[in-house]
Amino acid sequence: MLESMLLYLAAALTLVTSVMVAVTRNTVHSALWMVASCFLLAVVFLFLRLQFMAALQVIIYAGAVMMFIIFAIMMLNLRVNPGRIQLRSTKTAGLVLVLFLFPALLLLLGMGRGIAALQGQVSLRALEQFGEVPLLANVMFSDYLLPFELVSILLTVGVIGAVALAKKRKD
Amino acid sequence: MFDLVWLIPTLPALGVLLNGLLGRKIEAANKSLVHWIACSAVGLSFFLTCLTFLELLQLPAELRLVEFTWFNWISAGEFQSYWAYQIDPLSMVMCLFVTGVGFLIHIYSIGYMGHAEGRYYRYFTYLNLFMFSMINLVLANNFLLMFLGWEGVGFCSYLLIGFWFGNIDNARAGKKAFITNRIGDFAFLVGLFLLITHLGKHGVWSVNFTEVFSHASALPPGIVTAVCLLFFIGCTAKSAQIPLYIWLPDAMAGPTPVSALIHAATMVTSGIYFVTRSNILYQMSPLALQVIAVVGALTALLAASIALTQNDIKRVLAYSTVSQLGYMFLGLGVGAFSAGIFHVVTHSFFKALLFLCAGSVMHGLANEQDMRFMGGMRKKMPVTYLTMLIGTLAIVGFPGLAGFFSKDEILWKTFASGHVLLWMIGVFTAGLTAFYMFRLIFMTFFNECRASREVQAKIHESPRTMTVPLIVLAALSAIGGYIGVPHALGGSNRIEHFLEPVMGTGPGKLIAGGEHLAQEAAHGAYHPSLAVEYLLMLLSVAIVLIGIGLAYTLYVKERERPVQLAERFSGLYRLMFNKWYVDELYGLIAVRPLHRASLFLWKGIDVLIIDGVVNGLARIFGWSGTWLRTVQTGYVQAYAVSLLLGVAGLMLYTLFVLVP
Amino acid sequence: MIEHQSLFLALAVTLFFIGAAGAVVRRNAIIVFMCIEIMLGGVNLAFLTFTRTTQNLDGAFMVMCIMAVAAVEAAVGLAIFFLLYRKTGSIDLEKFNLLKW
Repeated sequence: MLESMLLYLAAALTLVTSVMVAVTRNTVHSALWMVASCFLLAVVFLFLRLQFMAALQVIIYAGAVMMFIIFAIMMLNLRVNPGRIQLRSTKTAGLVLVLFLFPALLLLLGMGRGIAALQGQVSLRALEQFGEVPLLANVMFSDYLLPFELVSILLTVGVIGAVALAKKRKD
Repeated sequence: MFDLVWLIPTLPALGVLLNGLLGRKIEAANKSLVHWIACSAVGLSFFLTCLTFLELLQLPAELRLVEFTWFNWISAGEFQSYWAYQIDPLSMVMCLFVTGVGFLIHIYSIGYMGHAEGRYYRYFTYLNLFMFSMINLVLANNFLLMFLGWEGVGFCSYLLIGFWFGNIDNARAGKKAFITNRIGDFAFLVGLFLLITHLGKHGVWSVNFTEVFSHASALPPGIVTAVCLLFFIGCTAKSAQIPLYIWLPDAMAGPTPVSALIHAATMVTSGIYFVTRSNILYQMSPLALQVIAVVGALTALLAASIALTQNDIKRVLAYSTVSQLGYMFLGLGVGAFSAGIFHVVTHSFFKALLFLCAGSVMHGLANEQDMRFMGGMRKKMPVTYLTMLIGTLAIVGFPGLAGFFSKDEILWKTFASGHVLLWMIGVFTAGLTAFYMFRLIFMTFFNECRASREVQAKIHESPRTMTVPLIVLAALSAIGGYIGVPHALGGSNRIEHFLEPVMGTGPGKLIAGGEHLAQEAAHGAYHPSLAVEYLLMLLSVAIVLIGIGLAYTLYVKERERPVQLAERFSGLYRLMFNKWYVDELYGLIAVRPLHRASLFLWKGIDVLIIDGVVNGLARIFGWSGTWLRTVQTGYVQAYAVSLLLGVAGLMLYTLFVLVP
Repeated sequence: MIEHQSLFLALAVTLFFIGAAGAVVRRNAIIVFMCIEIMLGGVNLAFLTFTRTTQNLDGAFMVMCIMAVAAVEAAVGLAIFFLLYRKTGSIDLEKFNLLKW
């Protein structure tokens, strides 16, 4: 019961912080809301009993990515720049689409109850016995070896690309 | 010497390259160099032709056919065509007078075209190009190479008629000549293809004259007649016969030496040359020969009747040319091929002479062409007068001069082959010829000068470069006939003997069809006696004298009479003066409908439908492009929205297609 | 907690659309970028929920991949913003209509 209450609270806070990210005018504030949102999402992951994923969420998002972003904001010395919205009609169309898609997707969720019946290779017992890290490692280095390597290549390429792009050119 | 025959056409071609590519610079540096190059090229060609001719004479008559293969020109499957020349009596006769007369006219042009600043080199380039084409035409040993020359001379004719293209009328005349010739060339090509395909059926994939003629007997008679008639249509265009003669009078828009060279002496005779060359084919088709004879006679008469009333000195000569060409075809049509060639040769002398004389008169009279504004030139231009008189006497067939022998030969052969009606037309035309030629002489050289005072003050005899060719040609016109004095007058008709090896009925060359025809001719034809021949000769001389006398009466003694006569027979006079309205008739039945149809095809089909479809498609894409372009704004977020749109689509698909 | 499956999924969908709305509407490139991260977070949540309900680790692996991609995206994307700012002095997305041609 308490756990359920806590879950509702975490979910509500996640939503609030996320909305704040999207609506705050100040970039730095927005970034701080984003950090909060990431932590809260990690909390939600904990309720799924996926501690490793929650840890990753905190390390990668709240740690690495958000650090990047705040770093960039500081570097760019951004100010709030008010101005006319040019793409008013396009953006209105986008919002209308969002408003249509949101209930439609929720509707689709209601239809998808049947999937809970599926039984995979990772039973709850195994999860509780070994923890998720050994299981995940097992899968990652056997079934998903190729995607895993590809992701590592992608990371390398990303690093090189970022350096090449941001490098000051002598022109 | 036979190995050097390729030099004969190549030398003028070299002249073309030199003057055509560097002419502007050469002319700017040294004007005389231009004509030195051009004239020496043709002169050397003439010299080489003479040498080759002399060497050919060394050979016995039956061996007088030497072929020189330069290189393989076209080779497609079994079909072979070589760039090859043929040296035989006929090609040598043609080549001799083509290069000879051509050389003289080149020299004459130096004086005549001296004032053509800036276009001098161009003129000589064209003239050399013409010589190259014409020599190819007469020396070629196959139909295809001959056709190359045939087209080449037509092209040069077009270039030279429109030489002063600054005046739109000249350009139009050039166009008319070219288009009229294209009609004939089309028929010629169809004939050639017909011949090639039908010979191909017998395994002879060749256009070589000798090979074609030796296999001609294998062809069905209908095909032979069709081929002959199609070829003849080509000849009517090139040699200005009914119905395609209309371009020649207009072709007088070109410079006068051009009229002399191309439109009197050489190019227009290529039709006669071709028919003579293919005499073996023609002898197999009596129908084609009959058509040629009738067309020739009618053309002679029609052109002579038009010439009676024309006032433009060059036009009179042009119609006279058409008329004389008609004579030649009459000769060919009755089977007297060598007589036709004989007349070609003599005609080239005296007609070139007449044109050059006319050019000389015009040169002295500030380019006046209208005979009504001439007169009295006898004293002021004695050389021109004398030479032109000789030329005129030669063309009307005054006894002893060139035209007498050749024209009488044709008329006699016509009569002897039994075509009495055609003979009568010929003799009557001879009278007309005498009348209009002496009308020209009297109007130009006799009486008082009717030119304006300023022009009169400047009248002068032409320079040496012009008079010398005149004198040479006059001498040739006077004595040229003695190469073919008939037996009746104690001669041996040397040219006929010389040409015999070329003829299908000549010794050692008899082929099935030709033999048959010759036998038939020997049996069926009417054989008049020697007395009849003398009588006919006297008759034609008498008619010629009557014509001269009439011209003297009307244009020297009683000069008010022509006007009265024109008024009395105003209908006939108008018909003749307006050339029997043939141009107008063609305009009505051919040119105008064609023009309308073309206009319809252009404005109706091409512009409206074809262009419409293409432009319409382009416009549709243009419109859709302008519309679709607004989608590509270049803003990231606009693309994000379209991405969401795609998500919406997928969602709808899932909700309504996958899930149920 | 697995009985709250619907709650988790609804949260995921809501996060996704909050992010989408922000990404479509906002002009500041960095905020748009963060909104995209929120969308990714929603997706991650959905994947992990299904990992638990279907007892299958494929979803968890997918989430790891997404995280890697997000990191790369952050690096490259921020480098691009950096470059844009250096050239034009702004990262207002409505000032750039460069994605043509």
